[in-house]
Amino acid sequence: MLLPIEYGVRNLARRPVRTALTLFALATVVLLVLIVVGFIQGLERSLADSGDPKVVLVYSVNSETNIENSSIAARTPALLTASLHGTVKRFGITHVSPELYLGTRVTSEAGDGGLGLVRGVTTTAPLVRRTVRLMDGNWPAAGEVIVGRLVAAKLGYKEPSLAIGKSIEFEGRRWLISGRFVADGAAYESEIWCRLEDFQTATRRQDLSLVAMLLAPNSSPAELELFCKQRVDLELGAMRETDYYASLQQHYRPVRLLAWLVVGLVSAAGVFAGLNMMYGAVAGRVRELATLRTIGYRRRAILFSLIQEGVLLAAASSLLSGAIALALFNGLAVRFTMGAFTLRIDSVTILIGCGVGLLLGVVGAVPPALKALRTEIAVALKAI
Amino acid sequence: MALVELRGVSKSFRKGEETIQPLDQVDLDIEAGEFISLMGPSGTGKSTLLNLVSGIDRPDSGTIIVAGTEVTKLNRSQLADWRAANLGYIFQTHNLIPVLTAYENVELPTLLLKLTSAQRRERVALALEAVGLSDRANHYPRQLSGGQEQRVGIARAIVAHPKIVVADEPTGSLDAATSQQVQVLLQRLNRELNITMLLVTHDSDVASIASRQLMLDRGRFLEPAPGESTC
Repeated sequence: MLLPIEYGVRNLARRPVRTALTLFALATVVLLVLIVVGFIQGLERSLADSGDPKVVLVYSVNSETNIENSSIAARTPALLTASLHGTVKRFGITHVSPELYLGTRVTSEAGDGGLGLVRGVTTTAPLVRRTVRLMDGNWPAAGEVIVGRLVAAKLGYKEPSLAIGKSIEFEGRRWLISGRFVADGAAYESEIWCRLEDFQTATRRQDLSLVAMLLAPNSSPAELELFCKQRVDLELGAMRETDYYASLQQHYRPVRLLAWLVVGLVSAAGVFAGLNMMYGAVAGRVRELATLRTIGYRRRAILFSLIQEGVLLAAASSLLSGAIALALFNGLAVRFTMGAFTLRIDSVTILIGCGVGLLLGVVGAVPPALKALRTEIAVALKAI
Repeated sequence: MALVELRGVSKSFRKGEETIQPLDQVDLDIEAGEFISLMGPSGTGKSTLLNLVSGIDRPDSGTIIVAGTEVTKLNRSQLADWRAANLGYIFQTHNLIPVLTAYENVELPTLLLKLTSAQRRERVALALEAVGLSDRANHYPRQLSGGQEQRVGIARAIVAHPKIVVADEPTGSLDAATSQQVQVLLQRLNRELNITMLLVTHDSDVASIASRQLMLDRGRFLEPAPGESTC
């Protein structure tokens, strides 16, 4: 038979200062876990959302899949569309997007500078990059750019610096912001897009970085890969866009491992907070616990009640942290080398955070409870 | 057959290099409904005997049978169940659970019995009434006087209708007037409810309320032999 739940609940109020401090400590630990897991989730989701399985990227084979270093001839798109028939074509428009992509220093009107990612595109780009949607403003005309939702985060600017009508400077030219776009969390959201020919003029380049092609439903990238292998003179490589972002995920694997290590270390610190609280709570109740055993309560019933106390406190901490994380950190933009992403405090993150919190409650309660219950009743009844 | 039978019970403790033997080959019979007081100088094994009868300690040798059960053969969990069904314990320092009200403290032992909530409520109400604290049911221990706390402790000890109630210096922490009230209460519970009681005390006045008084010295009962009063 278990002890009444009121016993556990009211015991928490018995030492209010200690309980409040432990609540704060556990809430901090769970909040840190939520932020780190939100970071991992955001990073993974950003890279996972960026790939479209029907899009194939054609790049310079010498660039070793580093698109920024890739350089292919400007005639490549025409060559590909003439030689291959697996690309989507609607209303006479082939869904092929020639692009020039590079990282460059971008300066705002206020003089703030940062390393931005700029993609020169044509009007076919949104046909291939199907998640991209213009949310405000217009498609860029000559001398204009559109900016992704996370560009401000990537550049470290304040949002108003990138409002429509403001201008930015890169590659020695001033560009007027004509619109803003979103891409369902994909990596493009931290990019600046302008017209391809403007960007080529500004960078004094005639080449392209890559060609993105949207394959027809019954087509396979194998045909394109075969073409690239046969035409060795073109020095082209082809890869599904999903594979490209999967390779980037591998690139960030150490970062993810480090983040999980942080989760482990922070959780371990939380265990000590829980242990400290429960040792304090149990140490002053040795005689009381012995009294319960004298009455006839089994050790496991008392152990369960003590775990209940730890778990109640941990659950309260987890709820508090979850609320704070959702209110303050969900969607917070984080800069990293290849762009920016947002912290994702989603159901999985909350589940992991609360799971860690509850685990802290259990792990923190068991050792002190077992220590107290190991003492013989007759001895424990004499405890002060 | 006696309600409590101790045969050849010995118990010793190690204290540093020294071995202390508070009980040495003790025999004792307690009949149902008896009120026995146990006296003796400090360290003579009174509380040890009480703990052995209560099943919260184990003898080194000998057998203890209470209400037909050889408690010395029970494991830890069986002992817990046995205590819940057969034993009421009155502590010197009341040992009430501070976060529970008087009602909830008294209710604790009944939660271990197979009772309906109505039966439980009735038992708790009767126990509180028996100790004259029905009007203090919703008070927490900190809101009660020492004497009231001890009466709640007594109600908790009798609420499960145990076969035997043991009391370890139940008046030890009370003033003279309150001690007197508690003595009267224990005597009344023994007489009116026929509760078997084993009381340990230093105080000969308190011991005198029992129907049989025993004296322990250096691990053995002083004459006369078990079954007869020493006073």
